[in-house]
Amino acid sequence: MEEEELQKAVYAYLRKKGFRQTELALQEEQNRLSSSAQSDLAVSRLDNDPARYHDAYSKLRSWAYSSLDLYKHELLRVLYPVYIHCFMDLVAEGHMQEARTFFHTFREDHELTHLRDLQKLEGILSPSHLEEMELARSLRQNKVKIKLCEYSYDLLLQYLQKTQSFTMLGIINEHINFEVSAGQPSSISDDADVVALVGSSQDIAKHINQKEVRWGLLEDSVEERLERALSDSEKAEGENKEVDPEDSKQKRSVEGAKQGVSVKKLKKDKLVGATGKNIRSETSTVSMAPRVKPELTLPVMTTEVEQSILEDLRNRVQLSSLALPSISFYTFINTHNSLNCSSISHDGSLVAGGFSDSSLKVWDMAKIGRPTKTFTEQQPSANLQGESESVQNEHLLGPEERKRSYTLFQGHAGPVYSATFSPFGDFLLSSSSDSTIRLWSTKLNSNLVCYKGHNYPVWDVQFSPVGHYFASCSHDRTARIWSMDRIQPLRIMAGHLSDVDCVQWHANCNYIATGSSDKTVRLWDVQSGECVRVFIGHRSMVLSLAMSLDGRYMASGDEDGTIMMWDLSSGRCVSPLMGHSSCIWTLAFSCEGTLLASGSADCTVKLWDVTASMKVPRMEENKASSTNRLRLLKALPTKSTPVYTLRFSRRNLLFAAGALSKQV
Amino acid sequence: MSIVPKETIEVIAQSIGIANLSTDVALALAPDVEYRLREIMQEAIKCMRHSKRTVLTADDVDSALSLRNVEPLYGFASGDPLRFKRAVGHKDLFYIDDKDVDLKDVINAPLPKAPLDSGVVAHWLAIEGVQPAIPENAPVEAIVAPSENKRSEHGKEDGLPVDIKLPVKHVLSRELQLYFDKITELIVSRSDSILFKEALESLATDSGLHPLVPYFSYFIADEVTRSLNDLPLLFALMRVVRSLLRNPHIHIEPYLHQLMPSMITCIVAKRLGHRIADNHWELRDFAANLVASVCRRFGHVYHNLQYRLTRTLLNAFLDPSKAMTQHYGAIQGLAALGPSVVRVLILPQLETYMQLLEPEMQLEKQKNEMKRKEAWHVYGALLCAAGKCLYERVKLFPSLLHPPTRQFWRSNGRVATKMPNKRKASSSHLLQQPALKKLASDGTAGSIPPISMTTSMQAAADGFPTPSESGIRPSSSTGQLSNESISGGSRKEKSGGKAPTPSTVLAQAWKEDLDAGHLMASLFELFGEGIFSFIQPVEMSFFL
Repeated sequence: MEEEELQKAVYAYLRKKGFRQTELALQEEQNRLSSSAQSDLAVSRLDNDPARYHDAYSKLRSWAYSSLDLYKHELLRVLYPVYIHCFMDLVAEGHMQEARTFFHTFREDHELTHLRDLQKLEGILSPSHLEEMELARSLRQNKVKIKLCEYSYDLLLQYLQKTQSFTMLGIINEHINFEVSAGQPSSISDDADVVALVGSSQDIAKHINQKEVRWGLLEDSVEERLERALSDSEKAEGENKEVDPEDSKQKRSVEGAKQGVSVKKLKKDKLVGATGKNIRSETSTVSMAPRVKPELTLPVMTTEVEQSILEDLRNRVQLSSLALPSISFYTFINTHNSLNCSSISHDGSLVAGGFSDSSLKVWDMAKIGRPTKTFTEQQPSANLQGESESVQNEHLLGPEERKRSYTLFQGHAGPVYSATFSPFGDFLLSSSSDSTIRLWSTKLNSNLVCYKGHNYPVWDVQFSPVGHYFASCSHDRTARIWSMDRIQPLRIMAGHLSDVDCVQWHANCNYIATGSSDKTVRLWDVQSGECVRVFIGHRSMVLSLAMSLDGRYMASGDEDGTIMMWDLSSGRCVSPLMGHSSCIWTLAFSCEGTLLASGSADCTVKLWDVTASMKVPRMEENKASSTNRLRLLKALPTKSTPVYTLRFSRRNLLFAAGALSKQV
Repeated sequence: MSIVPKETIEVIAQSIGIANLSTDVALALAPDVEYRLREIMQEAIKCMRHSKRTVLTADDVDSALSLRNVEPLYGFASGDPLRFKRAVGHKDLFYIDDKDVDLKDVINAPLPKAPLDSGVVAHWLAIEGVQPAIPENAPVEAIVAPSENKRSEHGKEDGLPVDIKLPVKHVLSRELQLYFDKITELIVSRSDSILFKEALESLATDSGLHPLVPYFSYFIADEVTRSLNDLPLLFALMRVVRSLLRNPHIHIEPYLHQLMPSMITCIVAKRLGHRIADNHWELRDFAANLVASVCRRFGHVYHNLQYRLTRTLLNAFLDPSKAMTQHYGAIQGLAALGPSVVRVLILPQLETYMQLLEPEMQLEKQKNEMKRKEAWHVYGALLCAAGKCLYERVKLFPSLLHPPTRQFWRSNGRVATKMPNKRKASSSHLLQQPALKKLASDGTAGSIPPISMTTSMQAAADGFPTPSESGIRPSSSTGQLSNESISGGSRKEKSGGKAPTPSTVLAQAWKEDLDAGHLMASLFELFGEGIFSFIQPVEMSFFL
């Protein structure tokens, strides 16, 4: 009598204080004690019987499925971690046959959300594989966190107690952390955590995501100067002085005179332009972004370059959901399935292609542009001698066999997986499966440097927005930062659990983002080399990344055709969006950040309205995420040409490139 | 259970010379082999993704192997993805069809053409968000009003601020509008100019015209109903239709329902053009060919297209109250659809029709010069249709006719050359016919060795259907065929002495096993030796 009361008091105390684990442990202990009263023989038999996993899990499953509708989805979340750990326990104990049967019996339940993980786990056939496979190891080592409301938690506990299923209880204790919240069960849509059950410990992720990210733009950027010049002419001269930082004052006053004329022109354009309202709102969002100091010493821009940028900015077309961009498409022909990557220089005049025969070819489109017209005239004659069936395009360059239309860069010893032009088009970087990165000069048409550092194929390389620095990522699970004048990397970013597949610089050059086969995207501080954000939510390998130019948002595209939009400051997904049916090879933000373009293996370029998705959550945070989606503005199909590269020029013309592939 | 059973391991062990592999080892190895396989595949898929492909190739597997420091597999490299064949009787067992290659053939073969060098071409995928209709872009699917597209998308997202756009009034660019105006003006006013020919060429080749198709089809339908009196205009319109049909960039299917009635009108209308001198026959022929080409092209998509067309034409043909011009159009329309249509639909009706037609053609019975002329036109069309049909038959069984026709030819050669165009003398000709026919039947029946030979050959041909034969006999199965041929053969043998009556022959003309000689004889009875001109080419070939 007394003992029972005491027990109740203890339970009440534990519950009041929120000591869930202790409570659970206590219960387990009690159960064990009470069950030990039963025949020891039975227990020991039960312990070794591999069928107990199957029985206990199927019981738990049928109980969860028949539970109250309101709490069902929460309880169902528990099933998946229990399921995979049951399987791995069975494997670890060496009951291979049973493990297989178990796995296949319940596989269907989880296929929808966790297909790719299941495909990997399926391959585990012996206890040693558990050690070897990174996914299994991380799943075993880390606890999964599941959010439950108070009542579902109680329900679960009651069930486990009542049925005395120690197997389940053990697994739940060992591998699941419950985060019990008071009140109503969370909505079904909010199961990002369940989706992201990828093994990377979520506590760590959460911890990392608490770090501060200064996502603002660089101080004193060219854009800012142009804008300031704009506001200067509007405001009185006197106010101007406090805004200006002292050091750039002299420079500015020189420039001010030059800009005077063009600024007026720009203003006139604004009045004339139909989308005048949009411009105002866009320019204001850019200037709203906070300013940060660069952590790297930035290269000095020459005045000619600066002038050309200013010229581009003045001539920039303002894009919005009502004013869509023009797209110039570069089609690679006769690639014989060997084109691995392509890159377009900022003004679209140079196009590079990396091939699997380890060559790198650069086309000067400014030169090609003219002769193509004469080729079209010659085309009938080409048709006569050649095969008449093939696609028209193929003949365009046919007669030109003697003189190559491109510059051939040879030096790599393996397939070239990535190429990138420097911001001003005078350098070209390429990365290859021979684990090197090479720097080429487009002026001298020769190789300048070979950077050796990675140990495995280098999947991606990207120049920083200011040039000079570049980032690379590799099969060796690291990303590295380099500068053009050193042959050793400056920083090595390690932390991903699998290949790092893509890399992208933040607009202010202080961060890089990396996408990986472990289905996460990470943001790294370039100065410290630390990981400052982990973005969890993709269900398959991340293939492409893009950063908005105001520095606040990042988009990532994966193998399944899902694009996710992330808020860098909060580390949360603004909105996942579906639309593509195959791999997203490339993503690009328009210069003022209103549009996102995506290119995919399903032979389409899609344009998404980004403003719609970003403004809603800002106004009403609580309703967010589930309802809003990036709005698809336009899908532009190509003629059986998967889109490999997209790039907005500084004037907001969109360049796209892809290799013509004939359907078999 | 697992993908790699232990038996596989044992087989592999034997193949490399380990004869006595213990079962335990195989059992332990099998799961590990499977795990390694999966690991390699995982790496290979990564390589595939980084090569921006969605199809796994042997190269990817090689790259994956080299990632793991394993010697790559040699001999599987190929530029194209491998073609797998499904093993018969297994649901998910595939193999590569690896044929033996004779080294001699490879050496003796001429050098293959060097592959074309890679290149880059540029085009506009979109101009301010609008995709231009140029050959480099994917063909535009049937035009959907852009507003509809948007609406359906808006429906999906709820609670978002939606900017509603008014339905777009017209999506035609100014250039296209100008083009349309220019073309229609040419059609209406200056269809005989050289410029119009250029316009037709442009309509047949230009790739950006798709948005105009609904306007053109409406225009054509409208003009045809309005100006049946204006023959040049109708002709011009039909030429425009032909150009539109020819244009490979235009997706004309959705507009066929609008164009077909106009075309059929141009075939079977009672009056086309307002002057007597107007050569509306030519227009009818032109339109008939046009309709036939539509049937050939879209018949498989709209399976009732030809059925509906033939029904309309047949109704016109069989209705005695219809004018001769309409009959003419119907016959031409049916004839254009091919000899088999003629055989099935026209030949059975031929004899009765000829009875109706004959009085119209004769000077004494039909006083109206105009009507008589029309009747002669119809006669010509019928002759032509039947003759082509016969020609086809003769071409298929060239050997069957030779002996009899040669006799025909010899006996009638003089007459045939003597009367080229003098159809007016047909009244006297008709008197001659019985005699000639008698001669013909005598020819077949009298020369007994040849006829017995032909029948036996016929039977043989029927008994062992040759490819060409089964090709032209889609309706009857082979089982039926043999029965039919036996009965046909027996029937023929029975009636070997006396020729079957023309009506039965014609009614049975659709039957393949009908002796072409009989068909020939009956047609001869109806048309006189005008029909011989259709057999001439075969004769020529025979003599050669």
